[in-house]
Amino acid sequence: MKRLFKTLALLGTGALLAGCDPNADDTRPVVGVSLLNLANEFIVTIEGALEEEAEAQGVRLIINDAQRDASRQIQQVENFIAQGVDAVVLNPCELEASSPAVERAQAAGIPIVNVNSETTAVPDAFVGSRDEESGRLAMAFIAEKLGGEGGVLMMHGYMGQAAQIKRDAGAREVLAQHPELKLIAAQTAEWDRAKAVTLMENWLQSYGDEVDAVFAQNDEMAMGALLAIERAGKKDDILVVGVDAIGDALQAVKDGRLDATVFQDGKGQARAALQAAIALSKGETVEKETFIPFQLVTKENVGEFLE
Amino acid sequence: MPALSRIPSDWRSRFGLLIALVLTVTILAILRPHFLSSANLLNVVRQISINGMLAVGVTFVLLTAGVDLSLGSVVALAGVVAAHFAHPGDYPVFVPVAMGVLVGIGCGAVNGGVVTWGKVAPFIATLGMMTVARGLALVASGGRPVSNMSDEMKALAGDLWGIPVPAIMLAVVAVAAWWVLKYTRIGRHIYAVGGNENAAHAAGIHVGRVKMFAYTICGALTGLAGVMLAARITTGQPNAGVAYELDAIAAVVIGGTSLSGGIGTIGGTILGALLMGVIGNGLDLMNVSPYYQQIVKGAIIVGAVWLDRKHSK
Repeated sequence: MKRLFKTLALLGTGALLAGCDPNADDTRPVVGVSLLNLANEFIVTIEGALEEEAEAQGVRLIINDAQRDASRQIQQVENFIAQGVDAVVLNPCELEASSPAVERAQAAGIPIVNVNSETTAVPDAFVGSRDEESGRLAMAFIAEKLGGEGGVLMMHGYMGQAAQIKRDAGAREVLAQHPELKLIAAQTAEWDRAKAVTLMENWLQSYGDEVDAVFAQNDEMAMGALLAIERAGKKDDILVVGVDAIGDALQAVKDGRLDATVFQDGKGQARAALQAAIALSKGETVEKETFIPFQLVTKENVGEFLE
Repeated sequence: MPALSRIPSDWRSRFGLLIALVLTVTILAILRPHFLSSANLLNVVRQISINGMLAVGVTFVLLTAGVDLSLGSVVALAGVVAAHFAHPGDYPVFVPVAMGVLVGIGCGAVNGGVVTWGKVAPFIATLGMMTVARGLALVASGGRPVSNMSDEMKALAGDLWGIPVPAIMLAVVAVAAWWVLKYTRIGRHIYAVGGNENAAHAAGIHVGRVKMFAYTICGALTGLAGVMLAARITTGQPNAGVAYELDAIAAVVIGGTSLSGGIGTIGGTILGALLMGVIGNGLDLMNVSPYYQQIVKGAIIVGAVWLDRKHSK
């Protein structure tokens, strides 16, 4: 009896898995997509735009979530190769560690397009934004608002990720041009809002009166820093600037709480990446690199970005 | 050492840990005088509240020789659900709190059920729940943070009479948990089951019910921690709480609870959470480079446990 139940359960699971592929006899071209992390609002925006564009272009997407894990991402691309997809869109987890995914797709003769972040291995096409530019825009805004002098804190993303390295580099370029603008401290809050609240609380204890501005390398952390600063009643003394222009941050800019964020056109990147992937799968040539520009969002222009 | 006999036995047995804590605090106070400012000390207790709540909960499970890896995911799920019920003007504030706790109880009860009646190893059962709860959090939120939270809910992360509300919640829960483990029948049964399951069974203890109780209590406190986190970051974040279970279990083990069950106290767990909070706060205050922070943190954790085991022999 017990064995019968087990067999039935196994059969049921098999049927469930088979039932998961409603497109078994679909003849549209197939593009495999491996995304950095679908628990991240910005990546969800990219995913939404990819699906819209796929609908418009008449292609079918297989979307996988790598959950920030480069080795999982490589497996996913290997699975795409095994399934014989026509092209791959990769939203890399890491600069180096995700490179094998690019190399395997190319070895299998399947065109691969990187979207949003880079890998060391050169894909057939790259669509994204120059992350240095976002750091530069944010820090330039701070420099301008402070008249070129004051104490600045910087919250890093995950150490070693391309976005963290480049946003840091862009911000430091501006700092180097303003010798009176001092970087008091720089720490990581790992892109995370809760960690940013804690870090900011601790910073306020250490540097309370010296701080004139905080640059957080993404909006999640900027929102966390903002919460801690507001709770300490110091928002009037400290500028807070983020990057990404997520919904929460735009609303905060509109409400006059967050001073600025930097808009990264995720939808534009997603559309251009899928178009490049489709063109490559048909044997057409495309631009090796396409850069979608960043834009500074402040209270003056936030209306254009709020949907 | 006769003078020590006046210290409650829970704490005396954690003598090595106390040394580690005092040592860390002293070094920090010398290097950074404002570490000991009352504002910063309140900061530390605020910052340990969530990890402390999880640690108290998972102490119950670890005492039965189980483990719960789903803490972080359940924190996210409870936070997302609570935030859904916490929009201004929708419900009184106890509704989102109760919903968060209920979600936690549900997840904990499933964990307990799968472990007890499904005879699935706790590591696997709760690993499954870790993935399922994370998925449910993403489904419930559509992958986006649930924002627009009422002021009453946000006040759960604020202060009451100058003391952080989360710290008050942790204090109340910790005292209750200590009392349950020390003075009630179910508390003694938890130690008995963790110490020797077969002996406990032979002695007529309903092992299944005891485990069920432990996982459910752990789930409830995890749900409460999820509510506290949502209030702290004023949103329900589906990606919140990643790897929180490791910090919680670390605090419990630092506090002297045996990973093989049967030995451990709530007092020790709170000391463990305090030590971890002090380290995190201190490293930020001292602006230790982000690369070195992780090394220092790991070394202090292992060092504290080593010191503690040396003294309890």
